Amino acid sequence: MPPDTGTTTSQAIAVRSLTKKFGRREVLHAVSFGIEKGSVFGVIGPNGAGKTTVMRCLLDIIRPTAGTALVLGQDPRHAGPELRRRIGYLPGELFLEGRVTGRTLLAHYADISGPVRPGRIDALAERLGLDLDRNIRKLSKGNKQKLGLVQAFMHDPELLVLDEPTSGLDPLVQQEFLAMVREAQANGQTVFLSSHVLSEIQQAADQVAILRDGRIITVATVDSLREGAVRHLRLAATGISAADAGALLARVPGVGQLEVLPAGDGVELTATLGGAIQPLLQALASLQLTELVLEEPDLEESVLALYGTIRSNGNGGGAGSAGAGRRRRKGRGA
Amino acid sequence: MTKPLPLFRRAFVDSWRSTLGWAAGLAATIFLYLPLYPSIGGSPEMQEVMKAFPPEMIKALNYDQITSGPGYTQATMFGLIGFLLMTIASVAWGAAAVGGDEESGQLELTLAHGVTRTQVVLERALAILVRVLLLAGLVSVLILLLNDSAELDIRPENLLGTSVLFAGLTMLSGTTALCAGTVTGRNTFGLAAGAAVGVLGYVFNAVGRQSRDVEWLLDFSPYNWAYGNNPVANGADWASVAWLWGLSAALVALSALALSRRDVGT
Repeated sequence: MPPDTGTTTSQAIAVRSLTKKFGRREVLHAVSFGIEKGSVFGVIGPNGAGKTTVMRCLLDIIRPTAGTALVLGQDPRHAGPELRRRIGYLPGELFLEGRVTGRTLLAHYADISGPVRPGRIDALAERLGLDLDRNIRKLSKGNKQKLGLVQAFMHDPELLVLDEPTSGLDPLVQQEFLAMVREAQANGQTVFLSSHVLSEIQQAADQVAILRDGRIITVATVDSLREGAVRHLRLAATGISAADAGALLARVPGVGQLEVLPAGDGVELTATLGGAIQPLLQALASLQLTELVLEEPDLEESVLALYGTIRSNGNGGGAGSAGAGRRRRKGRGA
Repeated sequence: MTKPLPLFRRAFVDSWRSTLGWAAGLAATIFLYLPLYPSIGGSPEMQEVMKAFPPEMIKALNYDQITSGPGYTQATMFGLIGFLLMTIASVAWGAAAVGGDEESGQLELTLAHGVTRTQVVLERALAILVRVLLLAGLVSVLILLLNDSAELDIRPENLLGTSVLFAGLTMLSGTTALCAGTVTGRNTFGLAAGAAVGVLGYVFNAVGRQSRDVEWLLDFSPYNWAYGNNPVANGADWASVAWLWGLSAALVALSALALSRRDVGT
């Protein structure tokens, strides 16, 4: 492994004012962020937000119009192949063709990347449930994606750049992938991954950048996103009028979308809570509650709020996400 | 530790079936055409028939020499069927090498590994070169094998020189396809450019041979640069050899330069 030359920071990736134009269309507007070595960093955003463009710039597949990127302390534009040997890359749209087996293809990629430990490829393939001796033309999309993952992980690179890594994988394999990411992190490797669905990233990443229309909206830890996220509250209480209950809850900081319905001699109430829980509990203490549900914060929802009302990707992330099955109020202003 | 020329090996090994297919096609045409020489080109009846054809057509097909063994081999094999097959193969390989690979989305992953773009172009160009040389070598060996039985009366050194020209001429179409594909990132543009060099070269030669007024067309015909002096009969013009191969080398260098300077997969 070549020495880590020229690094003065603890960052595996340092991006400053990265700007990319395709013709007249500017797709990245002065994006800046940094990724600490040994951390897992996720970038999420709708399709077309610029996630893939950022990653391609890091691999010197495309060249930025302005701004700088340092990858493992070096400029990918001039560092040459030695830098890329230290990176494992999974493209967002993976195309694998040819009349060869997965094993042959991986041997080729091993030839042109860092050294691969003996048995490493088989171990990874077994974990992901991938048959290496099948012709790659006959592999399903999910199996090609597994091959792409093996290809990215097999030489234990210092940095993994994974564009939509879970795309096409079934939930069990997704879990295995998350375990691989955690192991990589434990091993001191840095992981930079993207998704258009937060739920895929929140389990793996320490930090999340939200990218929209070529701009970073925010960089936050998953914990702080969770703190800022909105919880759904539902309760039923007796011995109180709808008006009184409404007034009581409305005084609690962070409560919104209050809906109160009279029910029997009491009320049924739904609301959202965007702030701390303690003031709510104090207000509720005076009520004769017959039912109380305070849901886990829905990160998806808070991120969608950050995206704003425009959602270029439809509801693509909904089905498999943490918030599945809940009532979803989407697209409120931040 | 690392094995040399990984990209060349992959390109070469991946295409061995196609290489074998082209080899079989070339061998089949050689075995079909050349043994017929004694009963076609060499026969007095055929020479009478030839006189009935319009002279323009004879010139266009390069059949003016068909009554000799070397002329027949030149006109049928190197000038027509062999030229056609090898040009198609070489253009297809050239267009696919970088432009086609980029269009299919695979180049991105290759470039994300420990290779340089120049290396990608050079090793893949080398893979085309080796395949073209193998096929051209096969053609000369088979012709040499049939030389006596088909009464072709070809001198081996002339055959060798013609094969070098043959390989250089078809390689030029292939490197044009490589270059156009690499500059544009599109397989189709590579195919179009490579085919244009082959077809226009042939047409310029056919038309340019018709009269002095249009003779200047010959200067723009790679086909004529290679075959203008009937190399199977008269031996290769080594200046033409250098010119054809030099152009190919320049096109490969241009491809490497073009790929190194642009975004990939956009």
